[in-house]
This record gives sequence, C-alpha cells and structure tokens, in this order.
Amino acid sequence: MSSLFRSLFGWNAILLVTLASTSAVIGSDQIPGAPQRKPILLRGGTIHTVSGDVLVGADLLFEEGKIKQVGKDIAVPEKADVVDVTGKHVYPGMIDSLSSIGLVEVESIRASVDTTEVGNVNPNVRALVAVNPDSEAIPVARANGVLAAVTVPSGGLVSGRAAMIMLDGWTWEDMTLQPDIGMIVNWPRFGAVRMGRGASAEADTGDTSDRLTPLHNLIRESKAYGQLMDADAVESIDLRLEAMQPVIRGEMPMLVVANTVKQIQTAVAFCNQYQLKMVLIGGADAHLCAPLLKESNIPVVIASVYRLPTRRDAPYDAIYALPAQLEAAGVRYCIGTDGRFGASMVRNLPYHAATAVAFGLSEAQALRAVTLSAAEIFGVEASVGSLDAGKDATLFVADGNILEIPTQVTHAWIQGRKVDLTSKHTQLYDKYKVRYERSPKP
Amino acid sequence: MKLPRFLGLLFSASLSIAFVGWTQAQQTTSTLPESGISEHPNELFAIVGATITVEPGRQLEQATLLIRDGKVAAVGRDIAIPPEARVIELRGKHIYPGIVDAGIEAELPATTTPAGIAHWSREITPERSVANEMTSAITEPIFAKLRKAGITTAMVAPRDGIIKGQSAVFSTADLPTQEALLKSNSSLHVRLTVSRGRGRDSYPSSPMGAVALARQTFLDAQWYATAQQAYRTQAGLPKPDDNAALSALSQMVASGQPVVFDSLNEQYSLRADSFGREFGLQVVLKGSGQEYQLLDAIAKLNRTIIVPVNFPKPPAVQSYEQAIDVELEELTHWELAPENPARLRKAGVKILLTSSGLNDPSEFLPNVRKAVGRGLSKEDALAAMTTEPAKFLGIDSSCGSLRPGQWANLIVANADLFDDKCKVEEVWNRGQRPESAEKNNRSMDGTWKFAWTGGEHPATDLHLEIKDSLQKGIATLRVPEPKVDASDAETKVEEESDPKDAPKQSDGTGKEKAAAEKKKESNLKSLKLESNTLTGVVACGSLDDSYKGNGYLSATLLNSEEPEDARLIGSIVWPNGAMGTFVATRNAEADSSSGSDSKTDKEVAKDKKEASTSSVASKVLSPTLYPPGALGRASIPDQHEYVLFKNTTLWTCGPDGLLKNVDLLVHRGKIDAIGPGLEVPENAHVVDASKWQISPGLIDCHSHMATDSGINEATQAVTAEVRIGDFVDAGDITIYRQLAGGLTVANVLHGSANPIGGQNQVIKLRWGAAYEDLKFKQAPAGVKFALGENVKQSNWELSTRTRYPQSRMGVEQLFRERFNAGRQYIELWNQWRDNPQGLPPRRDLELDAIAEILEGKRWIHCHSYRQDEILGLLRVLEEYGITIGSLQHILEGYKVADEMAKHGATASSFSDWWNYKFEVFDAIPHNGALMHRRGIVVSFNSDDNELGRHMNHEAAKAVKYGGVDPMEALKFVTLNPAIQLRIDEHVGSIEVGKDADLAIWTGSPLSPMARCEQTWIDGRKYFDRLQDAEDRKRDANLHRSLIQKVIESGEPGSQRSSLADDPSRLWPHHDEFCHDHHDEDHDHDHAHDHDHE
Repeated sequence: MSSLFRSLFGWNAILLVTLASTSAVIGSDQIPGAPQRKPILLRGGTIHTVSGDVLVGADLLFEEGKIKQVGKDIAVPEKADVVDVTGKHVYPGMIDSLSSIGLVEVESIRASVDTTEVGNVNPNVRALVAVNPDSEAIPVARANGVLAAVTVPSGGLVSGRAAMIMLDGWTWEDMTLQPDIGMIVNWPRFGAVRMGRGASAEADTGDTSDRLTPLHNLIRESKAYGQLMDADAVESIDLRLEAMQPVIRGEMPMLVVANTVKQIQTAVAFCNQYQLKMVLIGGADAHLCAPLLKESNIPVVIASVYRLPTRRDAPYDAIYALPAQLEAAGVRYCIGTDGRFGASMVRNLPYHAATAVAFGLSEAQALRAVTLSAAEIFGVEASVGSLDAGKDATLFVADGNILEIPTQVTHAWIQGRKVDLTSKHTQLYDKYKVRYERSPKP
Repeated sequence: MKLPRFLGLLFSASLSIAFVGWTQAQQTTSTLPESGISEHPNELFAIVGATITVEPGRQLEQATLLIRDGKVAAVGRDIAIPPEARVIELRGKHIYPGIVDAGIEAELPATTTPAGIAHWSREITPERSVANEMTSAITEPIFAKLRKAGITTAMVAPRDGIIKGQSAVFSTADLPTQEALLKSNSSLHVRLTVSRGRGRDSYPSSPMGAVALARQTFLDAQWYATAQQAYRTQAGLPKPDDNAALSALSQMVASGQPVVFDSLNEQYSLRADSFGREFGLQVVLKGSGQEYQLLDAIAKLNRTIIVPVNFPKPPAVQSYEQAIDVELEELTHWELAPENPARLRKAGVKILLTSSGLNDPSEFLPNVRKAVGRGLSKEDALAAMTTEPAKFLGIDSSCGSLRPGQWANLIVANADLFDDKCKVEEVWNRGQRPESAEKNNRSMDGTWKFAWTGGEHPATDLHLEIKDSLQKGIATLRVPEPKVDASDAETKVEEESDPKDAPKQSDGTGKEKAAAEKKKESNLKSLKLESNTLTGVVACGSLDDSYKGNGYLSATLLNSEEPEDARLIGSIVWPNGAMGTFVATRNAEADSSSGSDSKTDKEVAKDKKEASTSSVASKVLSPTLYPPGALGRASIPDQHEYVLFKNTTLWTCGPDGLLKNVDLLVHRGKIDAIGPGLEVPENAHVVDASKWQISPGLIDCHSHMATDSGINEATQAVTAEVRIGDFVDAGDITIYRQLAGGLTVANVLHGSANPIGGQNQVIKLRWGAAYEDLKFKQAPAGVKFALGENVKQSNWELSTRTRYPQSRMGVEQLFRERFNAGRQYIELWNQWRDNPQGLPPRRDLELDAIAEILEGKRWIHCHSYRQDEILGLLRVLEEYGITIGSLQHILEGYKVADEMAKHGATASSFSDWWNYKFEVFDAIPHNGALMHRRGIVVSFNSDDNELGRHMNHEAAKAVKYGGVDPMEALKFVTLNPAIQLRIDEHVGSIEVGKDADLAIWTGSPLSPMARCEQTWIDGRKYFDRLQDAEDRKRDANLHRSLIQKVIESGEPGSQRSSLADDPSRLWPHHDEFCHDHHDEDHDHDHAHDHDHE
C-alpha cells in the first residue's frame, strides 16, 4: 500500500507491529557519485532527446554537470572521457511523478514510515526533510533509469508539501532538485457509497457543500493571515497559515488528489474561485472532465497505469487507456507509480508508460509522460526532462528500448555525477551466485 | 377446536353449499388456568355481499361467508344467515384467504441449551426450536406488521447461525404463543455462510469455514448415532460425548425433515443443492430473488423455493456521475427482479412467495402485483401465498383457503387483489375483525366542483381533485378549462405510449409546456387529510392572476355514505385575508372529462409507470445474461468443430520452441496439428493470425479472485477442512479482466492467515459459465499452508496475539502435531475397516485433508519467505514422507535453491516484489532466475487482481533480472505453473493433444507494449477485443435506456445499491492477512484493492 493510497482514503489507524529492535541495519551501501570533473562525450548512440527528434548515431557532450551539446559528430574536448554508446540508447533521466521514495522503507514497519503527520491540516510539513538518502529503495529505482522523483506526504485533508528529489546524494539537501513543489490536498469524497460493506444507509444522501467547508476556511484564514504579513503585523507566527501563502498567491500548486467526476469538478471550481494553481493527482475520471481540465489548463498526474478500473462496469482497460484519452483530448498529463508497495516499485515506471502504449499512446508520447511532461508539470523543465544543451546532465544509457522490460540500463549520471547502478538486489544476487558456483547443480 | 376428519372431507366436497346444521359445544382448548372473568363474545359472523375467492381458481360473487368460533363454517351464494350472526356488509369488497408466509425469521433469545451438552460452536444449534423458545413478546412486533400486510400464518425460522435450528408455524393473531402455535419443528434451517465482521476470535469467520463446519457437523451427526448405538449395545467401549445438537440433528436427518437453506444469491442455490445431495437432505431453498440469473440450472435442481419479492428500488440518478456510478447489473436487476417469480414458475419450479427481505411486509402485496404484472399468473401467485405454502407446511387442513373448517383468516380488499388499485382494508385472523377496520375516515377521492356560497371568490367555479385521500393524498385545485378536443387527446396518448423506450426530448414537449402554462392550477402543499377533514396551502396566484401568494383551504366531508351525496364544505382564506366559502360536490362530468389535464407531475409519472407495467412484456429491456450485468453472456462462447489459426508465430512453450509462419489447428477444443500450410478442414473457423503472436493461455499459480469464500478462515491455526471450491464466484469481474490479459487458468488459494489453511480450487476463466463449470476438473486436490509473519500474526493487533503459534518455532511444531494426528487418524480408520468393532471412528474433515496430504493425494502450496522457515518446512515434510506441491512467494528461495531442488520442490514466486514487510527485506528480482538455474521449476504469480491482468510483463522480468532465455521466461507463466499444479498434461504449452487454451498478442508476449487481442479456452473464444468493444456498446445502450426508465418510473431513488448486500460483493476477493492489515470498508474505489497474498 502506498502512502498516497492511504491518504486517499484516510486510514488514520494502520495497525502495524513495531519491530523497533530490528530496524537498525537499514541503509544502502552504494556510494553517491562524485561531481563531474571532466567532460564526457557519449558517442554514436540513439539519442532520445524527447524535446525533439530521436537522433540515431549521434553524440552527447556534458560538462560540469550540464549538457553542452547534442548532435552528430561532436568534437572531443580536451581531457574528455569518451563513452562509446554505439547500438545503445540515451535517455533523459525518468521522473516518477508520484511516489513516497525516501519516506518509506519497509511498509509494514511503522518505525520506517514517515509519510503522515497527525491532524487534518498540515500544510507546514515538508516531505523533503524526512527523505532518507540511504534508503535501499533509491539505488533500486535509479538502476532502471528513474533518476528523479516526486515524493509526497499523505493523510488528512492537507498532507503537507511534496518535493522533487534526485535519486542520488549524501544528504537530502544534495538530493533536492526542487523543494516544496506543491501542497498535497486530499479532496473530500462526494456522494453516497453505493456498494460494499461501507455502503451508505438507505436514507443517507451525500451532502456536498459541507465537505469543502474546512478548505474554504483554510483559504480564508490564509488570506487573512497574508494581510497580517503584508502589514508586517504578525505577532506570533502561525506555521500552517504561513506555509499556505505561496499557495494562495498561486505560486505553489495545490496538488489535488481526486479521482471522481464530482471531486474533479468541485476542485477545479474551487481553485478557480480562489485563483489557485492546481495539479490534479490520481485522475481516474479525468477523461470524463477533459474539456474542463483543458480549458482550465490543469495537468493530470496519472497516479499509476497498473491500476484497476474504478467501477465494476468500466472497460477493463479504463486506466490503461487513460493516457491516450488525455493525449487525444489535449489535456496535459504525466505518469507516476503510485500503488501497492509505493517506494519499492518505482523502478517499474517505464512499464506503466509502456502499458499505455499497448492501449493507444505512441512510444514517444509514453516516454514524454515519464520525462519532459513530468518536468513541465512540476516546473523543473529548465533543468531536467529532455536532452537539450543547458539542462542538467541527468541522463542514462540503456542497451535497448527502455520501454521493453529486458532492457538494461548500463550507465547513468545525475547532474554529471556518475551514479552507482548496483543495489541491495545486485549485491545479494552476487553473493548467492557464489554459493552456487561453489557447488555442482543438484 | 378440531373438526372430525370426515367432516373436513365433507366440507371440502360441498364447498359452495350452505352448511350451518352442525355446531359443537365450546370446548376447552387450553390448559391454562383461567383468571378473572372470562370473555365470551358473539363469534358468529356473516360477511355478505363480497366477492369471495375461496381458493385459487374459485371465486364466488355476491357470496356469504359464515364464521363461527374463528373458523369458516360455510361459504357460498345461498347461505342461510342465522339470526344471531353479526352481519357485516362488505358489498363490493373482495375477500381472499389470508396469506401463508413460509419465510419469516426471528432472532431467538440467548441460548437455552445447557452449555454442558451444547455444540462447541454457537453457530450449530439444530436442537433449538422456535416453538420451544419463542414468546409472544418476541413475535408480536413482527406479527403485528405481518397481519397488517395480510399475512395470517407464518413459518418462523431462527435468524442466526449456520445450522440454525427448527422453525415453527404460527398464526399471526395477537394470541398467547401456545394458542398461536400451529406446528412445531417444521423444518431445519441452514445458512451456509456467516455474517462478515464477526471478528476473528471464533471459528468460523468466513463463508467457506461455515460450509466446512456444516459439513463436519452432518458427518458428526451420522457418527454420533452409530457411536451412541455401539456404546449402548457393547460393554467396555469408551463413552462418546453427549451432544444435544448432534443428537437432534441425527434424528432430523433420519426423519427426512425438510432442510431450508438460505440461498443468499443465485450461486448459493447451487451450493445448497450440492450440499444437500451430499447428505441426502430434503432440500428447500429460501431464495434471494436472483434465481432468474441462473434459471435453468436452478430449475433443474427440482427444489421448492421460498421466493422473496424484494424487488429493488431503482438507483438515484440525479446527475451524470450518479448515473455512471450505477452498475449495469444494478439496473438490469432492478428491471428483471420482478420477473423472477414468473420465470421460476415458467421453468416449472414450485415457488412459495414470502415477504422476507422486504423492509416492511406491507410491500409484499404490491410487489406480488408487480410480479403478476410481469408474467406470474394470478392463480399461481395466489396459490404461492396460500395453498402451496399451507401444503408445504402440512397445515392445509386448517390454513390456506376459505373452505369450511379452515381458520377464518381473510383479507378484505377494495378490489381484485391483483389490481393496482387494490388496497388491503382489513385482515381477519381466526375470525377476529381488526379494530382498525372500523374506519373513521371516508375517502374524499374524486373531482369536487365548488359552488361558492359566500365571501370573496373568483367568478369561476373551482375544481378540487383529490386522490389517495386515505393515504398520503394528492389534491389539486384548478380553474376548469374548456373541454379538450377528443382527437387531440388521442394523439397525445399515442405519443406517450410510444413503445420505444428511448429518452424523449419529445417534439411534443413544447406544445405540452405551452398548455401547462395556460393551465391554472395549484397542487396543495402541506396537505393534511385526517378525520374527514382536509387542510392545505394553495398557491393562489396560479389560480387567479389577481392574487399573489398562498392561501389556506380547509374542508370537511359530509354525507359520505353514498359517493354521489357526499359534500365538502369549506373555505379558502385568500392571501389578502378575505375568505370565501363553498360547498363542493363530486363532479361526475369533470371526472370523466378532465382526465389528462388534471394531472400532477407525479401522477403523470405514475401513469407512465402503470402504462409501462401493464404492457411490460414488450418493454423489458434487460436480456438475461450471466453473470448478470455488464459483460454478461447469453451463453458461453461456441466451440467450433475446427479452428485454424493461419500463418502465425507460436510461442509453444513446448519442445518446438518458437515457430514462425505456421498454422495451428484446433479440433473440438484440443490442439490437433501444428505446422506450416496445414490443410483447411471443411467448415473450419479460420482465424488470420498473421499479424499476431500466439502463446499458451497464461496461468497464475496464486490468485484470490473468483471466490466469495472470504479467502481466509482466519480463526483457527488449522482449517484444512474449508474449501475455496464451495465458493466459486462466477460473477467476479476480475475473471473477465484477467481473461483480457491472456490468463486462462488460476489457482485460487486460501489466504495466509494460518499455518494450515483451506483447500484451493484451480479454475479456468470460463467467463459466462456458472459455478462448477469454472472448475478445472482434472486438477488434483491441494491445500494452502503458510509460514512466517502472517501465521504468527506479526502484523495484527496485539490483543489478538494469543493463538498458537506466535513464532516460527511454533509453526514448525504445529505441522508435526497435525501430521501425527493425521497418521493416527489413518490408522484408526484402517483398523475399523479391517475390524469394524467397537466405537466407530469419527470422520473429521480436517484430518481427512491432512490424511490426504500424508497419502500424497493432496498437494501443499505453501506461502513462505525466509530461508530458515523454508528449510524447516521441507525437513518436516521429508520426515513424514511428503513432497511439497509448490512453495509460494518463496522470496528467499534463491538462498536455499539446492535444498529445494533436492526435495523436489517447485517455486511460485513474485517477479520483483520486495520490502513491503520485514520478512521480504532480502527479496531480490533475480530470485526466479537463480532458482531456475539450479533446476527448480519456477513460476511467477500475481496474488493480485491487477497484476493478474499482465502476467506476461512478469515473465519478462525473468529475462531482465538474471538473463533467463525468453521462451523459458514465458514458461514461468505458462508451462511451469501447470507443472506445479499437476495439470501440465492438459495445459501450459501449445502441443498436440493439449487443451486449446491460447492467448493472442499484437506483438511479443514478453513486451508490455503488446496487447492481448483474444483469449481462447477449450477452443472457445472467451475474450476478443473486438467483441469487447461491441459488448461495451451493448451495455452502454442498455444502461442509458434503463436509466431513462428509472427516471420515467417516478419511483423514489435509493442512494444505496440494491446489490450492496449481495454476499458475493461483501467478502474480499484478496488476502487481507498479509502486511496490509487494513479494512477496505470505506474504499468503494476498487481501483485500490491492493491487499495481497
């Protein structure tokens, strides 16, 4: 169960056993990459720029952590390292748009989970400061080309601020690509629950207006607090309302977790009313609200493609086909890996995108949904998301199409730092290979 | 008072002949001591002038019914009325026998069976008897409602439990229990499930646990009888325990007493029948109202069914989102449920109608009418609620008709019982007229023409139309219009009865609207009709332009004996405070002429509803599909004699490896030939597969779909007796969704909550087939074992952690303990077979299963993670000579691959899951490859309703992590799981002679960018993406039409789905007992059903 999943449905009491004495040994053995000292030229590869064409037999040069040049026959600078990538593919680092990486180690061990603060309204808390750089999940994810990720707090109505992190670094400060990229708000559910054990009673009618009252109040309180701040009249700081200021000024997007039509419609209207910047997270019914989303220029983070339809009668491929539907409708979107086991499954990001290809996206569109589109939606396109001169050298080399599962990532750099592609998994694999090399097959 | 039997016969033969010549002196019928002054009222009644239905098919007009001492003394047209009789004129009324309801339930008081000899489970109480334990304090609140609804006789069964106890038949009259009791120990009642949320402290906590316990109990009853017999007749034997439940049960089974099974949905009917046949029981089904969904199969059972008329309300569809949130099944069920009784009758099923399942029994007759409107004959309907249940209950000599000698239980109605206008006005019970029958109110129904008598009033007369005045009432005050031209009216009627149910943005609307604007009328708000007075609020402006605002109308009804003499005398206080007074008379002319223009919206809707119910047969939109609802099928897909897939790429997963440009021939569901350019047999169904690649149908060795068993019987540490196979849920949409991902076979396992769980069921994903037909018949038996965190309850609340074992040490010991018990059990039976002397051994279903494991007839599929526990289990099994069927999950299998290989273990793993709990911290995605390289048969499984939709992606991960050859990797989800399930003789590869179970892909089956286009099972095309698109269109059209029908019906909508209580929707279809110990109660967004294992 991902942390986001938990927040969607407000389980405040997740019953877990505390294994306090056993959690001491968690921490990855991989050493963060050293800052780039020499120019690096990737020579002769298939370069997926994402922003433009796929260049076959082309080169890419990066220096001091930035991409210098992309194209054919780039001259080798002095002292440069040249990496022959003939027959290989070069991609911008993939970005997981929705994860809890760094905040969760072992899902069932409470002591290793830092996603949720008590209380309903926590705009002041920041995911960034709880990211564990030594999480075992980080090397595992980046080994498959996922080099950046949005990591989000969860639970309550306003969960706190999400962060965009790079998946390498000694400290969370090193890892920060963009701090506090948005405010997670779990939109209230509307209407009666028709089915299942939690089905509403016969007479229960879903009251719609009341559920948004706390949010209306929060915005009003925040604006009033803003007036205090503007007048330099704050006597005692209110951390919550202070944290809301960039949101009400429309600078920090509200990351609205919503899936149903009614939730989406009311959220769009709400954000419109208060002129807030909104990103829709989840979005199972987004295709049903496409004109509204397009008109309002609100992008969608498709929480996950490996996801069941939300209604029993929906087409079996309802979510598989959602990216293609949004593409066709002209709604901006990107794809995340929310779902079971959250942080541990980030590495499967490209297969979420590939599944969308089976159901209507082109490969280029799918790749964009896990790179440049994600960067644009979260406002980090100046540094990541495509292979263009001037951007960070956050990229990887693979021995085939990254959307195909057997493809192996052979090299990766984050801001020019070469990252270790081993992980706890490869270490254990190597260890036990030795056991079997020592004895004949039974 | 008993009549001599010969007289009863005489009566029945001389039905309509007056008979008053014989009376009997009042006899004492009670042993109760009299207290105080006894009552002796005149209990001779003569009801005259009514139309009397004596029994189904026998109706007497203008007849007389003579009632003496609570019983029918005579009935007929020319009956002499004794002078002392209390003559009750019920001219124009219709009289019917009181209803006999064989489906009532009541909660028994806390147990009375002495704990000393009660069954250990409080769910097993066959010895309990409603007759012995019921008091009128319990029954009267129930009976009061039943009486009002016309139900005069009721079989009352215990409500709770699994083997619940025995029912009794009562008169619903307000009498002391001993007088009301008609028959004790009527039948035994069984419910093959438990209610969800009972907690995990007491066994059973799951439906499959309930069945297992019931099965064990019936076996125990057989053993009990023989063991007791042996003990009584042979000296020196050990004494078998005394047990009230088993004693009672063995006697009931021996006596052939009927056993009523609660069939909570259509699938439970089949389950109950199988169960009943297992023990030779006289099975009666207490239906769910969903029987039509599996009509043929249920009709074939040839069982009497107690059928509810719990027809659902339509869903609330006030917004688009509300509409799309409504499942098609809910709509089709709303539409078709009223046909259930008729369809059952037409299929030859003997039905008894019951009010059970209704919120209030007063809904019973209206719903029976609905059923009659939907094809049930009136005679069948009446029989099914009078004579048939009386016969079934063995009380037909005293109840069920109005023949002389019967209890005078009767319904007095204002019209034919099956007329929509019919209202039950009084219900007599044992000759007692209800006090409320003496009406204080008279009907004000009709159109009343005002004659102004004074004060301020408009120049025109007003008309007041009142409907339904004895109930809630509708009143409309209007300025009468000039008469509508008859031809216009006719045209309008035609438009409205347009047989197409398409939504009407009608061209006529504009015209109608204009007409409505012209109309000057006001519906009275806050209408109150009581004690023959009427008050209400009038929107006066809509009557007369000179008024703005509301006025008050009040009126009193006079002279109501004869409708034509009746007067309403009253006043209107206008908004300006002035008052006008009037006398109103019923206006026959207005009644006949104002018909169409005097209707309120509600009435229009109601009329439409009536119109649609009266011409229903042609208007039912829902086809009968199975499973009911979206993507249901009229039948399973055809099996062609020959199917030829031309010119394709085959991933055979067999010795032939990858074949390109070949043909694949299927004959009668089996693979017949493979090769290039095969000859096309005559009449072959040819599939051009040149753009596609074909793999064997995928197989998932670890699934929890397609069962409403509850997945976990999580109470006891050992539950080998429970069977997933008792609860195949053919309607689980997951079947279809995974079929669409190329999956054809799944191993549906019990969950991981206990070291020895329940028995698994291998199924083929035959979407559209029912129940048994999904089972993979040739698959050998299996059972779930589990190790580690789940079974030692590591992630449960601390308060529950008292069950043995709580450590891996204890888990290992528990297996020894049970295997020892199993060995002893085998030995005991062997001795008995050799020499059946002494106490017969007790058959124990749990030990049966353990014995089968020890004898190699039942394969263990064991949930396992850590290398220590894996090794521990294998060593125990080896000591007992058992080879394991498969190790499930087995995420540290890579650490002990050689030990596993030596044992002969196979491994069914996750491809790349890790870190969701502590025991999988060391899981690595190379696990599969490493074990494969050490010679272990490896599969990847899903354990998840979503993952099961793309098992091919999982297979590809064996290539990625550890470099397994692509064809070998594909075998991880085809041939290898088949081997693990011991069904590889039939499925798992594309080889001549095997089942034609195929998945057809747009590209390599190992690519996530390839899509499954078709899935074939047994040579039948169970999934086809093109057909899927067609079916979606079909379903969407039907959904829209039905939503329109709901809106037009005007019925108030419900926020709660009528399917919400269907047991197949209540139980999880996943293992709750892994790391995610949450409750999905408030999660109706099933996209997030992420629990697993």
